[in-house]
Amino acid sequence: MTRVSENSNMAAVNLSINKAKSKLENLQMKGASLKEVNRPSDNPIGSVEALSIGSITGDNEQYLKNINHALMQLNISESTLEQLTEVMVKAKEMAVGQASDFYDEKIRKNVVMEITQLRNQALALANQRLGPRFIFGGHSTLKPPFDKDGNYLGDSGKINLEVAKDLFVPINVPGNEVFFSAEKNSSRIESPMKDIPEIHRGKPAIEEEKFNEELPPEESVEVSRELASVKINNDLDKDFAARNNIFSQLSSFIAALENNDTKVIQSLLEGFDESISRLITIRTKIGSLHSSVQIAKNGIEGQNLQLAEKKSLLLDADIAEVFSDLTKQQQVLKTTYNSSKGLINQTLLDFIR
Amino acid sequence: MPDVLNIGLSGLSAAKKGIETTSHNLANANTEGYSRQRINQTTNTPVTQSGLIHGTGVRVVDVNRIHDPFLEKKLTSTISAHEYFKERNVQMEQLENIFNEVNGEGMNQLLNKFYNSFRDLANQPENETVRSVVRDGTRLIIQDFHRMRETLNAMATGIDGKVTNEITSINQISSHLAALNKKIAELEANGQETGDLRDQRDLGVRELAKSFNISTYADEKNKFVVFAKGVGPLVIGGISQELKVGKLAKADSANNMDGSVEIFVEGRPNFPISGKFSGGIVSSLLIARNEDIFKLQNKIDSIAYDFINTVNAIHRRGFINRPIEMDAEGNPIERNGSPVTGINFFKHLDSRENASALIDFSEAVKDDINNIATALEPNSPGDNRIALAISKLQHEKILNDGNSTLEEEYLSVIGNIGLETGKAKIDSEHTEGLLAQTQAIKDRLSGVSIDEETANLIRYQHSFEASAKVLNTVDKMFETVLGLGGRG
Repeated sequence: MTRVSENSNMAAVNLSINKAKSKLENLQMKGASLKEVNRPSDNPIGSVEALSIGSITGDNEQYLKNINHALMQLNISESTLEQLTEVMVKAKEMAVGQASDFYDEKIRKNVVMEITQLRNQALALANQRLGPRFIFGGHSTLKPPFDKDGNYLGDSGKINLEVAKDLFVPINVPGNEVFFSAEKNSSRIESPMKDIPEIHRGKPAIEEEKFNEELPPEESVEVSRELASVKINNDLDKDFAARNNIFSQLSSFIAALENNDTKVIQSLLEGFDESISRLITIRTKIGSLHSSVQIAKNGIEGQNLQLAEKKSLLLDADIAEVFSDLTKQQQVLKTTYNSSKGLINQTLLDFIR
Repeated sequence: MPDVLNIGLSGLSAAKKGIETTSHNLANANTEGYSRQRINQTTNTPVTQSGLIHGTGVRVVDVNRIHDPFLEKKLTSTISAHEYFKERNVQMEQLENIFNEVNGEGMNQLLNKFYNSFRDLANQPENETVRSVVRDGTRLIIQDFHRMRETLNAMATGIDGKVTNEITSINQISSHLAALNKKIAELEANGQETGDLRDQRDLGVRELAKSFNISTYADEKNKFVVFAKGVGPLVIGGISQELKVGKLAKADSANNMDGSVEIFVEGRPNFPISGKFSGGIVSSLLIARNEDIFKLQNKIDSIAYDFINTVNAIHRRGFINRPIEMDAEGNPIERNGSPVTGINFFKHLDSRENASALIDFSEAVKDDINNIATALEPNSPGDNRIALAISKLQHEKILNDGNSTLEEEYLSVIGNIGLETGKAKIDSEHTEGLLAQTQAIKDRLSGVSIDEETANLIRYQHSFEASAKVLNTVDKMFETVLGLGGRG
């Protein structure tokens, strides 16, 4: 038989009450926070995983913001290009009409007004802004990219946004690609990280092959292009740009109308066709970027849902379990108090009087 | 008849001694470290008289304490083990708190926000507000690095203070034990044992065992020795060995901190013995300071340093968000005497040491948010490639020799602390259970039971009454005998 002393009695009482109480306290914490894990040591692996899920969720939130920016930019580019196409189609219709000898000089003089109006409209579209940003300026976004003579003052910089992890999407079309001849139009999408060797990750939004298929073969020949400002490009390029850009086409049309020169007007028709088909090609490209951004958006929203579920599994307490445990533990504590009462309050002295 | 008187008397005094001891036990029922005592009584030497051998009553040999020296040793070592893990748990939980962000904001979230603020800047590099958001977010990171480093430093300094206090109390206990040794030697000169003082000495030893592992023994001259394992004797008989603490300069310290405390034996300041202690609070504190906190200090410095350098390396390639003049060769010209490219985002640091405490913006970025570079080309307000590249650092394996990202490295720090804290918690609970068990065994053996003492009290009272009755009977017998003469 084990001997029992006052100290061992007290220790036993204290121990059992402490045990019941600390379990109750633990459950209280869980019940109050509704979290299974309150500190890393509660579940080191799970809490680290939860933290990295938190980071991914934070990133996704940002990617959704980036996506909104990208969509906004792509939308305004698309609608501007649509209007520009309309301008060019109208100009071409006029040119077709005026190319025959059906109209006389007087009527052509009247048409000049209309074409000048179209040219002004094109210029206004060329200097389209989104907030403070000129959308066709390349990287030079704070100055109007076209002067009133139609000279391009911007550069050929592409602005990329990361719309999902490592997925970069170009959100602008530099003015030279829109308003100049298609031959300078590169179809390749390059990683914005290519000039920064410190970063190894980050790949173009859409595999280049895919684009090459969509575009006429002669457009995909050009591989890469110096990202220097067009202004400081060689003279050949400048001449080329001057001769073939939309504004010079319209200016030539106006001049031809004023001079009543049907031959020149006829020669312009091909140029108009080229410009219109280039605009349509660019719009197709923007459309496909738009849809790939949408796909990324859907992907992120789906992922967010999964992540939230996983995080909850890792960190959240099972409420039903916590509260049934809580009730059970309260009962245990009550019983402990009751049994302690018998142990502490009675000695032999109570019976020998 | 005098024999009977003596026998009665011996019974009376033995019962009185028993009642005394029982009352002493009852009085000390709640005294810490008290072992119950009992009288050790035996029959008196029998004598031969008139050819008969008969007994001569009872004799109290001595008063003993109920005590098991092996149990005592087990208890002492269990205390050292438990105190070690208990203190470790306390320290690790504090460390854990520094890095805890399971349900709140912390460095990981701030870093995440930092990268995302650069993504936001990449969305609209022309926007000044976003630039200031970037700088504000970065300031939070800088502050958090500072907070972590400062809290770690404060913990290390706190441990220095705690060790100093420990040593002071160790010295007090040592000299108290030496004094007790003297008293016990004096009292026990006649060969008897003094339970009360021995209990007090055991209590002192147990108190000392909280600080480090201890063994005790009596040497060949019967001097009681208290021996700190791995270090040497602290008490030999009536003499105690003082310990001292000394503050070391940064270069000599174990944790690369100024004023770091080391333990010496009094009079031998050139031989620090801090590392020799095992078990108990002292070694737990020193291990936390020299290993856990030290490692974390270095880790945080290293993370901060790599963070600074990788961000700077990319940022230096960029151009400021201002109109930049170019010279004839196409090279940018300095603007108002300050460079337009090659600017650091964070202040450049020469070494990892203290990087987390020294991290700050570069002067250029402090002066003007337009010195935050976003463009890889001059005069390109819409160029966001630098901002994109900095945001991509988030997923670059730039730490640990290109094996982990900043986040992975930081999270592994948190994971490790979590594991260590969890382990310390389990160890602490485990040793607490062991300690409670050992203490219970000891209490069952040596502790006072009021029931038992009450029963003993009654027993001795009965015995006293009976012996008194014997004397009373003898008295009556004398009266009878003396009355015979009176009648004659």
